Order: sequence, then structure tokens, then C-alpha cells
Amino acid sequence: MAATTDTTFVPSFCYNCVSGPDFMKVKVENGVATEIGPNFDAEDIHPARGRVCVKAYGLVQKTYNPNRILTPMKRTNPRKGRNEDPGFVPISWDEALDMVAEKLNAVRAKSLVDEAGLPRLAVSLGHGGTPSNYMGTFPAFLAAWGDVDFSFGSGQGVKCVHSEHLYGEFWHRGFTVAADTPNCRYNIAVGANVDVTGGPCAVIRHADARVRGYKRVQVEPSLTATGACSSEWVPIRPKTDPAFLFALIHVLVREIGLEKLDIPFLRDRTASPYLVAPDGLYLRDPQSGKPLIWDEISGKALPHDAAGAHPAVAGSYRVAHAVVVDADGERREYQDVEGKTAYEKLSEHIAKYTPEWAAAICDVPAATIRRIANEYLEAAGIGETIEIDGQTLPLRPVAVTLGKSVNNGWGAYECCWARTVLAVLVGALENPGGLLGTTVRLNKSRDNRHLSVAPGEDGFMVQYFNPTSKEEWQSASSTRNLHQTLVPIVGHNGAWSQSLGPTQLAWMFQNERPSDWNMPMPTMPEVWLVYRSNPSISFWDTRHLAETVAKFPFMACFAYTLDETNYMADVLLPEATDLESTQLIRMGGTKYIEQFWDYKGAVLRTKAVEPQGEARDFTWIATELAKRTGLLRVYVDAINKGIAGVSPLKGRDYDYRLDPDSEPGTEEIWDAACRAASATLSEGRDDHGLAWFREHGFYAVPMSRLEWYLTPTMEKLGLRYELPYQERLLKAGRELGRRLHEKQMNWWDEQLSEYTALPEWHDVPLRWIRNLERAGAKAEDFPFWLLTSKSMQYHAGGNAAIAVMHEVAQNMRGHAGVIINAKTAASLGIAEGDRIEVRSHIGVTYGKAALAQGVRPDTLVIIGQFDHWATPFAKTLEAPSLNSIAPMSLDLTDATGSGADIVRVAVRRAGGAA
Amino acid sequence: MNHSVRAVDRIAPRRQGNWDWRAAGNFVAGGAGGGVLACVAALSIGLGFDPRLLLAVGLAMMGFGLTCVWFEIGRPWRAMNVFRHVGSSWMTREAYVALFAMGTGLLAIGLGTRPLVAATGLLGLLFIYAQARILAANKGIPAWRHGRCLPVVLSTGLAEGAGLVACAGAWAAWWRYPAMLLVPLCAWRVIAWRRYLAALAADGAPVGTLTAFRRINSLFVWGGNLVPVVLAGVAVLADAPILAVLAGMLTVAAGWQMKYSLVCRAAFTQGFALPKQPVRGNSRTGPGVKPGWQWNRWLTD
Amino acid sequence: MKRYAMVIDLRRCVGCQTCTAACKSANATPTGVQWRRVLDLESGEFPDVRRSFVPVACMHCANPPCEEVCPTTATKKRADGLVTIDYDICIGCANCIMACPYDARSIIHQPQYAYGDQPIASEAARMDSQHIGVATKCTFCKDRIDLAERTGQIPGRDPEVTPACVNSCISGAMHFGDILDSDSNVSRLLAENESFRMHEELGTAPAVHYILDRR
Repeated sequence: MAATTDTTFVPSFCYNCVSGPDFMKVKVENGVATEIGPNFDAEDIHPARGRVCVKAYGLVQKTYNPNRILTPMKRTNPRKGRNEDPGFVPISWDEALDMVAEKLNAVRAKSLVDEAGLPRLAVSLGHGGTPSNYMGTFPAFLAAWGDVDFSFGSGQGVKCVHSEHLYGEFWHRGFTVAADTPNCRYNIAVGANVDVTGGPCAVIRHADARVRGYKRVQVEPSLTATGACSSEWVPIRPKTDPAFLFALIHVLVREIGLEKLDIPFLRDRTASPYLVAPDGLYLRDPQSGKPLIWDEISGKALPHDAAGAHPAVAGSYRVAHAVVVDADGERREYQDVEGKTAYEKLSEHIAKYTPEWAAAICDVPAATIRRIANEYLEAAGIGETIEIDGQTLPLRPVAVTLGKSVNNGWGAYECCWARTVLAVLVGALENPGGLLGTTVRLNKSRDNRHLSVAPGEDGFMVQYFNPTSKEEWQSASSTRNLHQTLVPIVGHNGAWSQSLGPTQLAWMFQNERPSDWNMPMPTMPEVWLVYRSNPSISFWDTRHLAETVAKFPFMACFAYTLDETNYMADVLLPEATDLESTQLIRMGGTKYIEQFWDYKGAVLRTKAVEPQGEARDFTWIATELAKRTGLLRVYVDAINKGIAGVSPLKGRDYDYRLDPDSEPGTEEIWDAACRAASATLSEGRDDHGLAWFREHGFYAVPMSRLEWYLTPTMEKLGLRYELPYQERLLKAGRELGRRLHEKQMNWWDEQLSEYTALPEWHDVPLRWIRNLERAGAKAEDFPFWLLTSKSMQYHAGGNAAIAVMHEVAQNMRGHAGVIINAKTAASLGIAEGDRIEVRSHIGVTYGKAALAQGVRPDTLVIIGQFDHWATPFAKTLEAPSLNSIAPMSLDLTDATGSGADIVRVAVRRAGGAA
Repeated sequence: MNHSVRAVDRIAPRRQGNWDWRAAGNFVAGGAGGGVLACVAALSIGLGFDPRLLLAVGLAMMGFGLTCVWFEIGRPWRAMNVFRHVGSSWMTREAYVALFAMGTGLLAIGLGTRPLVAATGLLGLLFIYAQARILAANKGIPAWRHGRCLPVVLSTGLAEGAGLVACAGAWAAWWRYPAMLLVPLCAWRVIAWRRYLAALAADGAPVGTLTAFRRINSLFVWGGNLVPVVLAGVAVLADAPILAVLAGMLTVAAGWQMKYSLVCRAAFTQGFALPKQPVRGNSRTGPGVKPGWQWNRWLTD
Repeated sequence: MKRYAMVIDLRRCVGCQTCTAACKSANATPTGVQWRRVLDLESGEFPDVRRSFVPVACMHCANPPCEEVCPTTATKKRADGLVTIDYDICIGCANCIMACPYDARSIIHQPQYAYGDQPIASEAARMDSQHIGVATKCTFCKDRIDLAERTGQIPGRDPEVTPACVNSCISGAMHFGDILDSDSNVSRLLAENESFRMHEELGTAPAVHYILDRR
């Protein structure tokens, strides 16, 4: 056995997916990282008890992967393309940074925004904000820069839960939405793959809940790992989820009836009592313009906030005099008009969506739908309470959670609406046990969603829609994904508003635009910076996307290995990776999926080993770029404001600001960030610098569970959730339509149809069939649905090049293959392990057949996204990808700008058995 | 390095990959060698012919088999450690038997005394038995651990020994006797084989095991046993030693092919099984599963 | 007197392979060698299908067939229940691999690396030629158990003396402890729940128990 002279365990975090941070310790022997393990120092403060998931165990190989880019490189082949060897040659950091700075300075010398009104600098960052936990002070550089276009998505909109992000945040400040699993009794999971993507916090919580005896019903075309761990699997036909959810509402509202529902919640916390005119708009008080309710005490229509009123939840009432306010503020007066409560409208609307109706669409028996609805209501335990930190709150332990491809693309609005309505019907929205939002990204403050709640119009919380009025509508977009122009609900002042726009439009419109475009032609960005992002693999129609990327004039990539996107780069900049660099981030509080903790604080990722080769800490790179672009002072100011790190460097009781006139060192920056964080969290009691954090890893303070629930805040402010009726969305859509039509643009008309007050079922799956028919293909030639699903080993990990992940992932069925129903396979002469061809109307992908019973006979599933051709190691896997054969199309883009991971395909054996 | 593995191969029985032709070589050559020793000893003592050349052949075959194994093991220079576990390891016992057989065999060749010849023959028999017990002790390979595998290995070793002696003795005066010996040994072997397969099918076995055996069954039963029995009978009755040679060769070839299949082709691992699927929250346990196994399908397929 | 056992709650396991990877990390097993892994098992026919995840490794049997067949005495059964391999004695004959009904043992004859034929720094740092050409398998992280003897810590409770897989398990499925101590976590779990052992009919008496349901 080798003599070990020096062994240390360095505390750190893993944030390779959105469900971080999780705690770990890195074992370092004689300067070499050798092992990853949990950090049991955090066992009591971390919901996942100091554990990291499988991905973190690949970080040692990530560090020493011989395929890493270890020096800055420049391209020597001016021609770009998949078939052009880039001819990268090593250069010095000075030369590399000067090359990038020269391009950036050229931009600044002209203007940040080009003649089309679009930022000349575009930046693409990878999955779900995870890059920000690894890119040090780069956000401060971007803030110092000014206008940046984040339009070129690596997957947002098509790979995220996009509609949930937008509507969840709109309705209940839930950019991400989760069940209150620690208290939940009944979870209808429609595609939500939480045991795979929810991180260790979700995994342990759901495991605890299973042992406790909760019931999770997994509604999904294939039996995923999460489905496997559920009490029941309902193999629904792909993309028919809205029909299933509508039928659940039908059972609650039409078959069980209001008396059994949570009437106080509907009456006081929702717009259910608001009276709706026959024209579909709220009846309003002529004087104040406030929506009217029917007061059962006085027998009169009164403004919604009238003191002492007892609003009727259901029913129709004659209102003597009222007004409605339509799009563009058009006001109409009504006398003796019939007003139906919003709940009544819902009840009438949902009458046709019976379980029998849904059964035919969803391929789920009506009896099953009816039973699930009844079980849901029973589990809701309406009337029960729970005491949390001395406060008595309703306990409504039921939730409907949604997964990717259910809550993005067509049908997603309907699903998001229906599941939120299902929550309000039983009072489970933002109450203990129920359906919770866990973070905000389209509103401020992003660290405390309660602070984002303030009184707005009509008794609802304030919203910051992109304006659609004639005066303010952005007719020439300021970003290439047109987020302000086309998507009112995404807003423009949240941290992520811009990057949550319709990112596939940015890619599509680089090449082709509708004939009635009538806006400035979208330009290419003059400089494109890419970090931790590989859209040529992770987006759709990836072959064409790579061709688009190849046309961009200058591209600098922070590069771990060569990959399919940076293959087109002009400069590669090797950043120090997870175990080699330092950064302090926020932890705990409530954030992302199931990350709602009993603590909040700050956690440090510290340099555990020296960077390999010439890789440099991202903070050093950011500082150098700031210096070389003359932005050092603004950059340091941004750091002082807390743009990197956890809190501003100056607070009430402390001042650790950096001198903006001198170039700060990386350690100096993080030392100040550590001190500011500990001072803020301790309210001035503690002053822990970098050395303290290096030893202890994290700093945590307790947090009340009351912060998990928004309803008490809503109650305190006397606000209602904007449900079930969507007058605001209806009007926003009407206004948007008018604006576009005024510019003679009709290409967004299909999307405008989604702006409805109460969503109707339309044949969602048919859209994919029509799409291929429009492309000249025959529907019968593509008889199967192809879906994707994630695996914990790879989800958001950017780790396709890590050998050990592939090794362990092979233990799970379908990894690097195509999951196909065993009977279907037999009928096609396909055996386990056969190489099969999966073809859509735009392309073909190949993989080995993985036969299963746990997948619908009409559905194929590809796990993850592979089909690499440049990334070392990954390109040897011969693994398929939906992304190679899924089209980007306006037809398949919903009103929020998102699309779903689904495509019609044909399948056959591609040759001999593997 | 891309080690490609299918998830299904992790759960269902898969063909063992650690013992290849080298290990099979020990069962093929060593087993037959043991059979030669046993048959030669018995026949020479009974008939009074000189057994030394054939004893040397038997010992050489045994030595060849063990040499094959030596090439297979991961740490050949530690091979002497094989003698450390006589208390329970049949591999250790096999090694000791081989050692003793070499000792008595060489002495018998040198001295030619009957007790030494008898002892060598007995050790040859014991060698085959040890090999059969090596397989039987391997609980990880259902085809081997089955109780009816042992008679197959034992009978084939002896049949192969008789077959080889029948070939070698074709021009000797006593050629009829090994040929006559072939008849009951092949009969025993084929009965043991059929009983083995029937029991495997009835008790359940990895699909791959049954498939591998199905592939050789007809040829083994007919070409390897029934035809040799007839040939040997006819040879004796019609005074045609060449038919005895043919019978012997068929017996040996069939035995070797069967043993190679047993060790390399049909040796599927146990795989895994769940007696019941676990509950998941508010649900009930579900039906169990034992992937890659087959029951009662031998005769119908 | 102690007898260590592992209890794995199949109600909890999500098949994430964190234990598989953590074991590889803690024991520096070569690429392609997995001392433990999580199986993905499906039963039934569409649409009545169930799927489960079953972590498997050396079962540290009370009647270990590997120990019985080992010709060298390299494989031993310890009084505390651990089945061990002495890498200095093992000749790599693979008889134990054939004897093990749990597919728990591996032999590699050349070093196997993650990337090509050269070790990366972390592999080089922990290269152990002892492991080439001999049988290897899960040790229940023997060094940690032995450390407990010296420190008085309790395996299964104190992470420093608990197997890496159990420490890593994010679903809380894996438990480790002394089954002779009726107060240990493993004894309590077994008393409270319905469990089984893999291939119990083979008489191996494995020390790994799987929970299926509450009693």
C-alpha cells in the first residue's frame, strides 16, 4: 500500500443540476482528488442529510479527464461546420483574452445594441441557472457590460417546465412548483419525474412519504423510475394530460359538488365569487372599477373587497348596473345584467369534460379517473389543520405535480391551469401539505418570494406583464427571442424574464422568418459567449442548429472538452472546474422544486485541488475580461452590490466593499463575499472570512417553515389568487393580437388562441401530426410517439464525457438506447439489444432496443440526450437522441413560446443484433 | 474504454465468462484421463495385460488438463496455494488427487505392481468425482449445482476412459472388453443425461442453459451414446474391432463436446429474483419476477 | 460478539446508482468492475406492470459458498459476519465466482482505466496491483468496520465506520448494523417489516435483507 503522507477532506457543494446545492466532501490525497463523499457536518441542516447524488461521484473523473481542454485555444480553420476540423491550437491566456477583449471592445466602440435594436453581445448559459453556481463573478461582468441577449437557449422553453415557470409564477409565485412532500398524502404526478430530477432532497422526502404511506399516482406514458416508485401507474396517451385533468375537475365540481370543496378558500382566497358578464369579462363597479361579487348578506353586488360582505361562490345574479373593461381599456356599461360567479362559469365550462369523455381521449378508464378524483378529495381532508411554529394553518395534503413535456408546449397552459384549479378547489394551494411554489425568477426579490407579493389590480397580487397597450408594446424586439414582443406573461424585469422567452424562435428566425414578419430582421450576434451549454446537442433539430451556430461571426466558449457547439468556436477558454475553483453561493430557504429547507445560508465551493493545466478560476477570467474591456470599476461595483456571492458587500452593520479602483484578487473577492454573507445571515453577529468557510464549508441559520407557504402572506395582504377565471390573460391576448394585426402580422395567430379565460380542450396530439403533414410527410408513415425522459446520472450534469457515469447508468434499462414496448417490438421483429432506426420526418437516430412492458405500445422513449459527434468519450457511445429528429416549428410553439419533447416517428431494425 | 453492458444482462442469468476453454480443457482432458486410469486399472487387473503405456496416457491427459487451468488462473506463480483448503474445497481435493495419482501412477509405471495400478485407477475415478464435485459446489451456476449433474460428469469421464481404451486396445487381444464396457457406461451416461435434462426442465433453469443443452441434445444422445452402444455391440458380436474404435471415438468426442458445452456454453449464472415487488406508499406488494428462467418447457420447445 | 448485516428498504430505493458510484469512488474499483450495483427489475405485462430497484453486492453469507470452494483459503468468513478475501493468497482461479449465486465477484487480468490505456491522476494515485488477477468484491468497507473496533464507534450509526454505499444512499434505503444487537437499527427494521433475502432457498443465509412491506 502506498504511503499516504497528506490526506484532507475538503467541504464543497455540488450544483450540477437545478436541485442543488447538495453537500459533499472531497478527499484529497497528496494533492490529488481521489474520492467524493457526503458531508455529514450538514446532516442536520440539509433536507438530504448532507448527501449528494450520483452525478457528484463523477467529479473526480471530471477533473482528470484526459480529454479536457487545458490551455486556451484558437481556431486556425476559418471555415466552420461539422465537417470542418477547427484546427484548434494552444495559445496563451494573454492572447486568448486579448482576442475576446478586442471583439468586445469593438462592440463597445460602436454601440451595445445594433441597427436592429438587438444586443451585439449574446451569452448562452446552460441548464436552469446551474452555470451561475460555477461561473464565479462572471455575472458581475455581464452586469457591468449592459445589454446582453440571452435568447439563444440551450434548452429553456423546450427542455424545461416552461409553462409552469410562467403560469406558476403568475398565479402563486411558483416559478417551480412542488408538492409539500413532507406533509403530502396524495400526489397525482402527471409526468413529474421527481425521483430522478428532484435531487437528493426530493428523493429522501418522497421515500419518507412512501414509508409513511402516502399515495402517488404516476400518470405518464412510460413507467419511469419515478413511476416505478409510485403507488399506481396510469399509462396515459401522450399529450392528452389536459383531458385527464379536466375530467378530475369535472368529478369534483359536477359530480361531488361545491359543498364538499373548500368553500372558505374559494370564497376568500380566489376570484371564484367574481361576477362575470355574458361577454366573458368581469362585471365591475362603475365608480371604482373593482370587480363585483354577490353579497349573500345584503343580496347585492358589491366590490370584491367590500367590508363585511359574504360573497357567493356559485350562482347567477342580476346586477343592476355595472361596467366591464375590455382590451385597451375599452369600457362598456351594463344595466340589469346577469352575472355568473367565476366558479359558476367554471362549473358550466367543465360540464362537458366528463370522465367518459376523457377516457376516449386519454386511453384511461373513466372509472380510474373518477376513483382518483375521489381519492384526491378524500385525502385533502378539508377542514383539517396543522400547527406550524405556533400558527394554525389549514392542512390540505394533496397536490398535482407536472413534468416536462406536460407543462411545456401546446396543452401545457391547460395542464397548469387545471392542476392549480384542482389545488384551489380543495384549498391546497400554498397551504401545508398542498401545492407549493418554491421560488421566483420572473419577479423580484428572487431570494424571497413572499417579498414579491404586493397588492396589484382587482384584489390580486401585482403582476409585471410585458405591456400590450398601443403605446407601450414593443413592436421591434429588443431580444432575438422576442420575449417582450410576444409573451406578456414572461415580463421583463425578473432575473430570468429574458432567457425564458421563446428561445427556439431565436434559433429559427436566424434562418427563416414568416412572410408577414414586418419587424426589423434579426441579426446575428457579433460576439457569442457560451458556458456550460451545448445547444447543438441539447436543443432540437440539432443538425440545423449547429449549422446556424457555424455562421456566427465570433464565438468564445468556456470549454471543458471539445463539444458539438464549441466545435464552431473561435476561442476556447478552459475554466477551472468544480473541484478546482472557488465560489460562495446561497443555500436553503425555498428554492427550486423540492428545495424548501428549515435553514438558509451560504455554502462555499473551494479549490480542493490545483487546476489542471492552464485552466483558470472563472472569477479570475471575469476580472481579466473586465479589466481588458475597461469595465473594471463597474464590475467591482457590481460585486460590491452583491451580484456575485450571497449578499451586498455593504450592509447595515458591515462594510466589506472592494476598492473599485484596483483589480481585486479572486481570494480577496470571495473573502469579502464570505464576510458579507455571514454578517447578513447572522444580522451582524458573525464575520467569517474565506478561511473559516474553507474549514466549515457552510454557514446556516434556521428558518421557519411558515416561509414555505404563500397563503398566509396572501391572507395578511387580503389578496386573492387569480383563479379559476383568467380575465387578465384573455385581455392580454386580445391586446397582443390587435398589436400584431396592426402591424399586419398574422403568424402568431395560432398562439393567440391560447389566451382564454377558461381553457378548452383541443386535440393537442393532432398538432404534431398536422405538423408533419404540412412538411409533406404522411401521418401513417410515422405511427409512434417518441418521448424523452431524464436519468439522474445525466440530468443537467453536462457530464456526457464522464466515463463512470456511463458505466453506472448502464445498470438502468434504456440508457443509451430506445425503450420500446416488448409486444410492439415483437410485432416489428425487434429483439432486445437490436440496433434500431428511429425516424421522424426530419431525420433519423439510432440506438439499441431496450424492451419493456412499462411503456405504452404506441410510444418509444429515449433517455437523456446524446448522439454526440464531437465530445470525446460521449461520441463513442452510439447513443440516440430525440433532439436530432425533433423539428423546431412555429406550429409546435405555444403562446408562452415553449414546445414539448415529443415527435412522431417510425421504427425498424437497423441491421443485425447488437 | 467503453464497456458496453445491457441492463437486462445485470438481472437475468448470463453466460459465465471466467472459465473458458482452458478450464473446460481440464474437465475434458482431465476427466477423460481419470477415466482412462480407472478403466485401464480395472481391465488390466482383470485381464492381466500391461497397463503402463495407457496409464502414462491417462496421467498425461490429467496433467494436460491441469496445465490448461494453470494458464487460466490470475496468479499462476501462486498455484501451490491451491493445496491450502482440503477441508472443504473440491478444487484442493482434485489437486491432491492429481498429485497422488501422479505419484502412484509413476510408481505403477516404474514398478508395475497391481496394488499401485489399482490405487492409480481408484485415484483416476476419484479425480473425476472431484471434478464433478467442483461443479456441484458452484451454487452460482444452476446447471452445475443440480444434483443430477454429478452422475453425468462421472459417467462421461468413465465412458470417455473406456472409449479411449477401446480405441487404444483395438489391436490387442483384449479389445472386446473395453468395447463391452462401453455399452453399460454409455447407457448409464445417456440415462444420466436425460434424467439431468428432465430435472433441469422440471425444476427450472436459465433459458440459456436449456438452449445450450437443446442444441447438443440429439447429437449427444444418438451420435454420442446410442450409436456407440450399437457399434460396440455389433463389434463384439461380429468380431469387428474397427467398429469398437469408432464407438470409442464417438463416445469420447460426444463426451468432450458435452463437457465443453457444460462448462462454457450452458453455464449461465443464477441471475436475480424478487419474490414480490415491494409496496410503494399506499399500495400492495406486486407479483415477483425471476428474469431469464424457464420451467417445464424443455420438451415442448 | 457482533454480526454485521445490511438492510435495504426496497420501498425507498429509486435506482439512482449513487451507491454504485460511491462504492467505485470509495474503493477505487477499476472501470467495468462494480462491487455493487442497483438492478432494474420489471414484472407483469402492460398495463399492469411493476418495476423495482434492487441494490446487490456481496451478501456476506453466513454459509458462503465462495468460502467453501476457495482452494486457497483466501476467502474467509469472519466472526463478525464479513466475508473477506486475502489478496496475497488468492490465485485467481475464479472458482468463487462460479460458486457465488449473487454475481458479486470480479477478476480482471489487466488494469482497466476510464480513458484509454493510461491511468488518470486519481487512478494512478490509488493504483493497487494487488487487485489484478485475484477475485475482488464488496468488503462491507472492512477497513471502516475494523476502525470501529479500535475507536468504539458504531457501524451503521457513525459515518466514519459505515460502508460508503450506506453513507451515500440518498433515499435512506440502505442500513447497516449489528443484527445480534436487538436495539440496532437493522434489528428494529427487520422486526418491524416484512423482508426477504436473495435466493434464500440456496441455503447461503445472506447477511443482506430486503424490506418489502411493513409487518
